[in-house]
Amino acid sequence: MDEEPSSYERVAYKNDSVYHYMKICLIFGNERKPLSAEQFKQLIISGLKELYGEVGAAFPFDVLTFDQFVLSAILRVYNNGLVKLWSALTLIGSCENESCAFRVTQVSSSVSKLILVLKSTGTSCRSL
Amino acid sequence: MVRIKYRYLLCEVCVSERSGLQMLAERPIYDALRAALGKAHGAHGAALLSVGSSVTYVNAYTGVVLLRFRKAHYRLLWSALPFVTSIWSRGQKVPCFFNCVHIGGTIRTCQKFLVRYSRQQLCRMLPHCKTEAEKQEVRRAVLSCSLNKFREEEEDNDFGEDGEETEA
Repeated sequence: MDEEPSSYERVAYKNDSVYHYMKICLIFGNERKPLSAEQFKQLIISGLKELYGEVGAAFPFDVLTFDQFVLSAILRVYNNGLVKLWSALTLIGSCENESCAFRVTQVSSSVSKLILVLKSTGTSCRSL
Repeated sequence: MVRIKYRYLLCEVCVSERSGLQMLAERPIYDALRAALGKAHGAHGAALLSVGSSVTYVNAYTGVVLLRFRKAHYRLLWSALPFVTSIWSRGQKVPCFFNCVHIGGTIRTCQKFLVRYSRQQLCRMLPHCKTEAEKQEVRRAVLSCSLNKFREEEEDNDFGEDGEETEA
């Protein structure tokens, strides 16, 4: 008797994306400051500059979306800059003399996975 | 045997006025290097410099400086060398720049290179001499480092060399 072909299929996913996507949000210690997208990016760049100098602050990354109300953003960065960006984000401790911290919610190599999780957790992703 | 590997950078300090060379010392050079690294590579770069790096040798007459870095990250430290534009020494600012002429794995290989390099420099100096006395002086210097020294060096070469790397 012939055996039925198995119902499952093995899918090997090879990551050949050159980017990584990070979902981050900014938390203030006491008073929340209104920030524009430009100021937000400038804050990250200043953190990079402090830790990795002018050479480190020159590597490319993008702020894809930025939500002013919950201060969360999605960053796109080249794979080789991920560790640098992440470590700089960790060490950012203040914004205009106000203590703050970055929380990295999720890191993924494809933006579609990021959106899936966003939808499932009910976070707003209007700008996407 | 296991040991920590280093890279030695043999550099020339180029100054506009020769009197500036007398001001060279290990500490001011190290401080200038750390300031340049802090600017170019931030806290990360300055931290890498503080691990195992030192100014091994300074010659205040010829302006030759030997810098020692850990092999693991000497390229990053090397990349900050062009950003050193002045050295603060004894309250004075000496404008200068570093010209890296050789990178070696040991002080010994750097020393050998320096002897060879200085000998070539003598030959290059000869056409630039203006007076006869200067010419005589340079010729005498060239002759003084002739055959005998060559033979000594060839004998030296028979010993095992350790991690030499010529990138100048």
